[in-house]
Amino acid sequence: MPVFGLIDGNSFYCSAERAFAPELRGKPLVVLSNNDGCAIARTPEAKACGIGMGEPWHLIKNRPECRAVLWRSSNYSLYGDMSRRVYDVLTERVPQVEPYSIDEMFLDLAGLPNLESFCRRLRDEVRQVTKIPTCIGIGPTKTIAKLANRIAKNRAEMGGVCDLRDAHDRRRHYQDLTAGDVWGIGSKAAAKLATAGTVTIADFIAMEPRAVRDLLTVTGARVQAELRGLSCLPLSLMAPTRQGIAVTRTFGRPVETWAEIREAVATYTTRAAEKLRAEGLEAGHMAVFAHTSPHNDDPWHSAQRGSVIEPTADTAALIGEAVRLLQAGWRPGYRYFKAGVMLTALAPVARQASLFATRDPARSALAMEALDAVNARWGHGTLRPASTGIVRPWGARQQRLSPRYTTRADEMMIGQAF
Amino acid sequence: MTGVGQNSPSPLGQNSVAKPGNTTGFASPAGDSIEGPLDLTDILDMRRPSRYPVRVAGDALTARGILHGDILIADAATPPTSGRVAIVMLAGDVLVAQLAYRDGQWWLRSGIAQAPAVPITEDAEIWAIVTGLVRTTV
Repeated sequence: MPVFGLIDGNSFYCSAERAFAPELRGKPLVVLSNNDGCAIARTPEAKACGIGMGEPWHLIKNRPECRAVLWRSSNYSLYGDMSRRVYDVLTERVPQVEPYSIDEMFLDLAGLPNLESFCRRLRDEVRQVTKIPTCIGIGPTKTIAKLANRIAKNRAEMGGVCDLRDAHDRRRHYQDLTAGDVWGIGSKAAAKLATAGTVTIADFIAMEPRAVRDLLTVTGARVQAELRGLSCLPLSLMAPTRQGIAVTRTFGRPVETWAEIREAVATYTTRAAEKLRAEGLEAGHMAVFAHTSPHNDDPWHSAQRGSVIEPTADTAALIGEAVRLLQAGWRPGYRYFKAGVMLTALAPVARQASLFATRDPARSALAMEALDAVNARWGHGTLRPASTGIVRPWGARQQRLSPRYTTRADEMMIGQAF
Repeated sequence: MTGVGQNSPSPLGQNSVAKPGNTTGFASPAGDSIEGPLDLTDILDMRRPSRYPVRVAGDALTARGILHGDILIADAATPPTSGRVAIVMLAGDVLVAQLAYRDGQWWLRSGIAQAPAVPITEDAEIWAIVTGLVRTTV
C-alpha cells in the first residue's frame, strides 16, 4: 500500500527570515509580495492581530491593533536556498521526495517502520538544520496527506504530525471539515457542491462517483477517489514540461512614458528568456500586456498583443518582438500599473536550421551562453541589454529586503565576537 | 573537454591551426592533466544543508585565533560540546562565543580574560557550531 507524506514549512518565508534575525523571533511578522504589496506569509503572532492572507499592507499598517507588526520584502534568493536545504535534509532520510512548491514536499513513506516517530525525528532534524518549523501529514494518498498536513497545522496538540492512514480516524475528521478544505476543490467547485447539498468531506465521499464526475468533471472524481483512500496521483519526481513562461510585475509607481514602459517590458523579456534557456527551450509564441490600475480612479486601459514568432531563445530577438507587440497596443496618456510577457509554444531548441530562418542560431547560442555564464558567475543582471534601463525608476519597491545571508559573500550573517 | 581523442585523427595538427588561441602546432604536455582551480566549497563542505557562513565582527576572540572580518563556517547539525566555538542567538543578538558546560547548563565563556561567563538561558539558542574558518587576507 502506498504511504505519502506532505511536509511543509510553517509560515515558511517568515521562518526563513527569523532563522537569521533573532530580533524577529516571537514578534508578529509578515512578508510582503513583490513590490511590497500584500501579506503572503504571516507568523502566528501576525495572524492573531487579525491579518488575513493576501491583505494589502497599506490597509494593515493603519489598523491600531497592527501597529507592532514587523514586515519584510520578499527575499526569494534566501527562501530558495532554505528550500534547497530542507530538500537536502529530506533526501538523506526519505527514499523519494517530490518538491511540490518552494515550501511543500511530498514524501514516499511506504514500508518505513514506526512512521509517526520517524516523522517526528524528521521534523526535529529539519528544524535543527534549517531553523524552520514544519508540519507533516501522512496518508494513503496525496490528497489525504495534504489534508492531514492541514489538520496538523491547525491543531498544535498533535505536535506537528497527523497520521490519517486509518480509515476510522479519517471518518472522524471528514465530518468536521468542509469539502472546500480539500486540495483540488477550489471555491467554485465548493460552491457547486454546496448547491447540491454537499458541505462536509463526509457528504462529498458519500456522493455517487458518477454524480461527482457530472458536477466536477474527472478531476473532481479523482479527488473523491483519493479521499476514499484510492491513490490516483503517484509521486512525480520529474518536473512537468513547461507549457509557458510568464514574467509579470506591478510597477513601483505608475508608468506613463514610452521609454519607461519599454524598459520594463525589455527587462521582463530578459528574465523570461533566461528561464527559457535554463530549460533548453525556445518559444514560438509571445504575448505582451500592460494595463492601468483596477484599484484606483485612473481610466482603465489594457494593451494586449500576441503573435507567433520565429522560434528563438535569444534575448535580443525576443526583446525586439516584445517591443514591437507593445508598441502596437500601448497608448500615451495612461498611467500603467502592471505589465508582463508570456512565452508559449515552447519546444526544445531546434537542432536543424529552419528553412526560413532570418537569424543565425549558432551565433545566438554562443552569445547567450556567454551572457548566461557571466550572470551565473557574477549575479543576475550583471550583463544585460541596455534597453532594460540603468536607473529603472519604475522598478519594484523592496524597502525592507533582508540580506541574502547564505548566497552572497557581502551579505552574510554577522556574529559579534564575545 | 580537450582530449587527445579529439585531435589525434587529423594529421599534422590540423585542428590546432583551426583552433583559436593555439600559437604552435605542439600540444602542451599538460593538456590531459589540466584541472580547474581548487574549490573551497568542497574543502569546507559548504554544500551540506547544515553549513552556513558567518562573518565575524569584533576582536574579542583574537586569543582564540578568530579575527574581525573572518568568515566562519558553522554547522547546525553538529552537537555542542564544551570548549567549541558556537554561533549563539541570545537576547536578540547573534554572538560568536566559546561554549562551556557546568552546573547542568551551557555558558558562554568570553574571549576576554576578565569578562564573566554568561548563562545560555531557555530563550537563547545554540544556533550552530563553528567547524572552519576562512581569512581572505592575512
